[in-house]
Amino acid sequence: MSASQSAHSPASLLSVNIRHHVGSLALDVAFELIKPWTVLFGPSGSGKTTLLRTIQGFVQPGTGRIARGNTVLFDSSSRLIVPPHLRPIRSAAQTARLFPHMTVRSNAVYGSGWTTKPQDGMATAEQIMALFRIQHLADRMPADLSGGERQRASVARAVVAAITSGSPDQRPLLLLDEPFSGLDAALRDDLLAELRAWLVQWHVPVLSVTHDVGEAFQLGAEVIKLAEGRITQQGPVESVLAEERLRLMTQLRD
Amino acid sequence: MDFQALWLTLQLAIATTAILLVAALPLAWWITRGHSAPRALAQAIVALPLVLPPTVLGYYLLIAMGPLTAPGRLLIRLFGHPLAFSFTGLLIGSVLYSLPFAVQPLVAGFSSVDAGYVEASAGLGAAPATTFWRVVMPLTRASLLTSAVLAFTHTVGEFGVVLMIGGNIPGATRTLSISLYDQVQDFNYAAANRTALLLLVISLVALLLIYLLPSLRKTDGRQADIVR
Repeated sequence: MSASQSAHSPASLLSVNIRHHVGSLALDVAFELIKPWTVLFGPSGSGKTTLLRTIQGFVQPGTGRIARGNTVLFDSSSRLIVPPHLRPIRSAAQTARLFPHMTVRSNAVYGSGWTTKPQDGMATAEQIMALFRIQHLADRMPADLSGGERQRASVARAVVAAITSGSPDQRPLLLLDEPFSGLDAALRDDLLAELRAWLVQWHVPVLSVTHDVGEAFQLGAEVIKLAEGRITQQGPVESVLAEERLRLMTQLRD
Repeated sequence: MDFQALWLTLQLAIATTAILLVAALPLAWWITRGHSAPRALAQAIVALPLVLPPTVLGYYLLIAMGPLTAPGRLLIRLFGHPLAFSFTGLLIGSVLYSLPFAVQPLVAGFSSVDAGYVEASAGLGAAPATTFWRVVMPLTRASLLTSAVLAFTHTVGEFGVVLMIGGNIPGATRTLSISLYDQVQDFNYAAANRTALLLLVISLVALLLIYLLPSLRKTDGRQADIVR
């Protein structure tokens, strides 16, 4: 079933079809990632973070199959589990998790050492730190940063890891869990536009989690709407989040 | 002062500490990473020397190394001489006897590293070994120091195991603690005073080293990255 499916949709960036029960959450999702920037949208507790962790491989679903292009990453029927670090996927969690014993620069360059030359990784890290407005913090330790600065450094670190891995026609998928929740709106808007341009240029597809309707609209992203562990809608942001936008604008007017 | 015993004790303690650090790192990491039954068994066996009378451990080692058992005869053929009452035999006994003192600080240290860092590293494509050397180890330097100092000090101070499998051979198996025992048996309290004081000072200095180097704990995983 899945083999013929992927043969008919070669454009699929990620194919997910899993069922997983954890606590009160019953995750039951099936989707194809088609657009280079897709947003997972849903209330807290709807399973967004669990879904990202499952795709990276930190959580093993009860049953199902996850594939990136022709590479199967998880398949319960053949008991195949690719360990997280070997998946063509890079991620940044919701909490910054910067390595506390390394400077911001060492953190940023950390994920680039596996396939690229060190100097290439360093050059990329400098560019991405500039993009995230943290180059002036490069020699600081994480403990000396503000919450927002840490979050930017954490996302920058994952971006560097993604664009320095794989080949131009097969970059890892980047998973970002609420990457810009701690930023003020103006900075977030600038960053989003520039980051999007970068990742398109580097052919890095993104699946990001957000609560923020504005963020989803600004990205012009494909949206997957999640509620109580199930996908209720998938499509362009204009149609999927039209209701949310209307509600938001009404609130603003009042 | 029995300088021969002092030198032997230092050799034994250094060799034991070196072997234990190499052996304890992977063992402690493996124990930390899960709670399955084999790990519980490993932990129980590692902790055994803490509760077992040293003479019991010494007795079993003596039997295992002697000509009465198959492994003992194999060892004798391998080394060309019985391991009991030799420095090598003493070294094996010391490693086993001090194992919990090397493993347990590391287990405590590894457990205190936020699992989030380990996941973050894997999410950036780092292999488990890379994560261990570049993230876990630097965050647990204080535990590594504690582990080394305790293994060293505990080896310096061991008595029962040494007496059982080493006997009391000057230059080969007579350590400071055995020497002290001899001196007291001979009513040589002047020499015993010096030996006891030396053992006391070694232990105190070693423990001071653990408590006086808080700078090593600065980058401990528990303190940093609390703010989101």
